[in-house]
Amino acid sequence: MNPLKGVRIHDRAGMRFLIEGGYPMTVYPMARVSTLGMLGKFAAALVAVVVIQGIFSFKFKVFGFFDLPLIFSVYYGFTLGNPVASIAIGSSLGLMQDSLSGAVLGANGLSKTIIGFLAASAGSKFAIDQPVTRLLALFLFTIGDVILVTILSAMVGPPLGATYSVALTNWALSAMFNAVLGLVLFAYHDRWSNATT
Amino acid sequence: MSRIVAVSKRPTWVALGIALVFQTGLISIQARHRIDTSFVRVWILDSLAPLEKLVDRSTYAGFYVWERYLALIGIHDENERLRHQVEELRMQLHQNREDILELQRLRSMLSLSSSDTGKTIVARVIGRDPARSQTVTIDKGTVQGVRPDSAIITPAGVVGRVIHSSNFFSIVQLIVDSQSAVGVLLQSTRRQGVVRGTGGLSLDLDYIDDDNDLKQGDTFLSSGLDRIYPKGLPVGVITSVGPRRGLLKTVQIRPSADLGRLEEVICILEHPQNAGPDEPAQGSANP
Repeated sequence: MNPLKGVRIHDRAGMRFLIEGGYPMTVYPMARVSTLGMLGKFAAALVAVVVIQGIFSFKFKVFGFFDLPLIFSVYYGFTLGNPVASIAIGSSLGLMQDSLSGAVLGANGLSKTIIGFLAASAGSKFAIDQPVTRLLALFLFTIGDVILVTILSAMVGPPLGATYSVALTNWALSAMFNAVLGLVLFAYHDRWSNATT
Repeated sequence: MSRIVAVSKRPTWVALGIALVFQTGLISIQARHRIDTSFVRVWILDSLAPLEKLVDRSTYAGFYVWERYLALIGIHDENERLRHQVEELRMQLHQNREDILELQRLRSMLSLSSSDTGKTIVARVIGRDPARSQTVTIDKGTVQGVRPDSAIITPAGVVGRVIHSSNFFSIVQLIVDSQSAVGVLLQSTRRQGVVRGTGGLSLDLDYIDDDNDLKQGDTFLSSGLDRIYPKGLPVGVITSVGPRRGLLKTVQIRPSADLGRLEEVICILEHPQNAGPDEPAQGSANP
């Protein structure tokens, strides 16, 4: 027997109302609330990543070699299985990173967008749960990121200057540091995700 | 089946296209119009920097409690030593005041303007650049009078200049940034030159009138000719003088200010040297 027999369903402003005997009963859209909650958590996590990067870079100088937004763009690209979300995450992280630094607005945004997309594409084609794959991917993505950001910054602002040897050393260090930190964070996050599911 | 796959992939390409067009548009706007502080940057900076400040203040409060209440063992001996030191410094200060008065008298007699650093404000460093270029974030912005190209210093020397300002926060480009340059003069010989950041921890000498008399330990002061930094502030000390490369010797300079440990900095809002060329220099010329 249908319990809603004789009940009219009225849809207004995105909310569904059941009207029975002239008295409306509100039905809360639980799916939408949970989606909003998830989006809110994601937004908070992205902001936290950028803020933590800024604070840690200031407090611990070695942290300047790390690029947490890049690591998270790659991680979510690998694990979400949703290229659109990966693109949005990479784009947002890059834009926030540009705004908090003196970099050209959009340079990191463009770079992280592409990285998010590539990571999502790679996630469906390669065995990205293998440490070696992750290590290599993070290394290559970091190198690609710094090259692209440098080129874009040089196109808009003044060139890098006569310090390419210093820049190359910094890029190599950054790629290695990101690969190692990323590997640790990926493993930790995987364990945490498995424990909560 | 192939049709289904093609349809399901379409949103990805649309999203990628939109994101790329948006980011490329932002870059091209800046390239064409040279917009220093767009509304996007100001909005995000004003949104995220308070969080950075909150975390920074919490960390600072933790250290404060530790230092003020938990780590006071052996403070009595140190107190005695410092009290003695204060007495010595007080005598030295008295002597310095006399010297300053004498210097002011001599300056006014020679009709020289005083080397006042101008209107200043103290700011706290709340974050460092998450990307790889050398910048820090400070907790003062346009509301407090900090503008792009405001000079940032510490008592030890020049730190950098403001490149972006939002209402309550600013981004400072350090002098070691590879895109930064400072007009300098050698303290001992008064020869003028330009030092440039390397992107690392040191500065390079980019130009100088004559590099024959450069030696290790020499100090470079700001020349004031760049109209950003007031004249006479310590910029750096020569750490090594290498062989000639091109027209100039290879000279490495260590910044006078400790850029790795910036906590509080001084923002120079106005100073006599960054006034317009037609404006008269400040200072009395009366004998």
